[in-house]
Amino acid sequence: MRPLLALVRKEFQSLFGAPTAYLTLTMVALVTALIFFDHLRLYNQVLFLYATSTMYGFDTDAVPDYVNLWDSVFFPVMETLGLTLLGAVPLITMRVFAEERSRGTDELLVTTNLTPTQIVLAKFLVTFAFIALTLSVSFVYPAAAIEQGGLGMLHLSAVFSGLLLLGLAIGSVGLVCSAFTSSQLVAAVSGWAVAFVLWDFSWANAFLDEGTAAFLEQVALHPRFGSFSEGIVRLENVVYFAAFALVAMALARFSFDLRRVGA
Amino acid sequence: MNAAQQAQDEPDLAIRARGLSRRFGPYLALDALDLDVPERQTYGLLGANGAGKTTFIRLVTGFLLPSAGSITVQGRSPATDPSAVQAGLGFVMETSRLYEELRVRAFLRFCGGARSLAGAELDTAIDASIERFRLEPVADRLIGNLSKGYQQRVSLAQAFLHDPPLVIVDEPTSGLDPVQQNEVQELLLGMRGSRTILLCTHDLHEARSLASRVAVLNAGRLVAEGDTAEILGRDDALSLFRELPGGSPT
Repeated sequence: MRPLLALVRKEFQSLFGAPTAYLTLTMVALVTALIFFDHLRLYNQVLFLYATSTMYGFDTDAVPDYVNLWDSVFFPVMETLGLTLLGAVPLITMRVFAEERSRGTDELLVTTNLTPTQIVLAKFLVTFAFIALTLSVSFVYPAAAIEQGGLGMLHLSAVFSGLLLLGLAIGSVGLVCSAFTSSQLVAAVSGWAVAFVLWDFSWANAFLDEGTAAFLEQVALHPRFGSFSEGIVRLENVVYFAAFALVAMALARFSFDLRRVGA
Repeated sequence: MNAAQQAQDEPDLAIRARGLSRRFGPYLALDALDLDVPERQTYGLLGANGAGKTTFIRLVTGFLLPSAGSITVQGRSPATDPSAVQAGLGFVMETSRLYEELRVRAFLRFCGGARSLAGAELDTAIDASIERFRLEPVADRLIGNLSKGYQQRVSLAQAFLHDPPLVIVDEPTSGLDPVQQNEVQELLLGMRGSRTILLCTHDLHEARSLASRVAVLNAGRLVAEGDTAEILGRDDALSLFRELPGGSPT
């Protein structure tokens, strides 16, 4: 346990000792804030137009039900935040294993009596914690607004959990890609490519038979997020994301064995 | 009798390799190596670039698995029990294979923690290592901002931190200026006799001044082994490093 904690501490020091972490945090927070305020601006304009079109002054009864904070602001912002994760998370994960390989410190790690399992576990834990931090920073504005709109903390928690699990799944993909290469560029690009392919398979339904399409629907990441955004936490979806992370950890662990055998 | 049992019967050996081979695809990096490294000696592993020195070190540390043959380190097999082997060894890699974004003290704290040191024991080990390798002026500086000489001292400090019975030192003076080379060699001289040091180098002067015995690898094969003065004092000593008539084994 002690070596694992030492590595977790070192990983945090390395992460926040480089500008990439701060740049990523700032970029995601900035993009989310811009998208959020843009949607909020549009929502206010629509609201104002409806409210003033009655000729009797400002009358909120004239606003139809479908023009609401949830459908006009929160849901689109959450969808965009999911896509932002797809773009940003591989930038976080690309260096995690690949940088160790490229500068030769992976050999140092292994010979300091850390087992490959401990190395994988520590790196996944720290990356997951950073993704959670990134999401928390980005979630503040939309959460505050929607809380004012009366959505409720439980619903908000469900949406945040869904986004977090989605982020962790994308992070798992990125970490596996980083574990099999010494190039950060290759790790980032392959992370984007694999996560993008796994994002949604509905576009391929027209070309596939029903069984294959149904199977791919089960494997895809984005459809699993759907129920969370509606405020429903389904156990099967939580199990899916947990299994996704575990398989990724096993693959990253396998990269160490592969290196030992090395052809 | 298996390799581990044989090693237990020969307790004075720090490393014992028998028929040790390692292949990378078609390239045979080590070819049926038989080698005994005695305990409490500085043992030089010599050879030109590509002779198989680094591959041998990686087999000792358990970083790689052998393609054939066996190896035991202090009676344990790094192939089947790498954690036990790694607990008893320190490893100094070539300069700059360090976490440059960490400060020296934080890096040593990590290395100690990773070797299960904690609390007062860890603090004492860090302070002792900083003093032994004369790192006081740079203890709170970023490793990336240090000179190569200081970086190599940091590397030595982490390897000796947990007082291991076996330390592997890979090209310790590579890329250093003459003053820095002298400093590192003096530090290694100070460690002589207290533990086994496997010194991997292609610098014959360094081997002469530090090692009591040497083995010379050429194209993955052991071409000479014995007392340093005897091996390196031969008239044809340089020919041991030249390409073998058959070329690299494949």
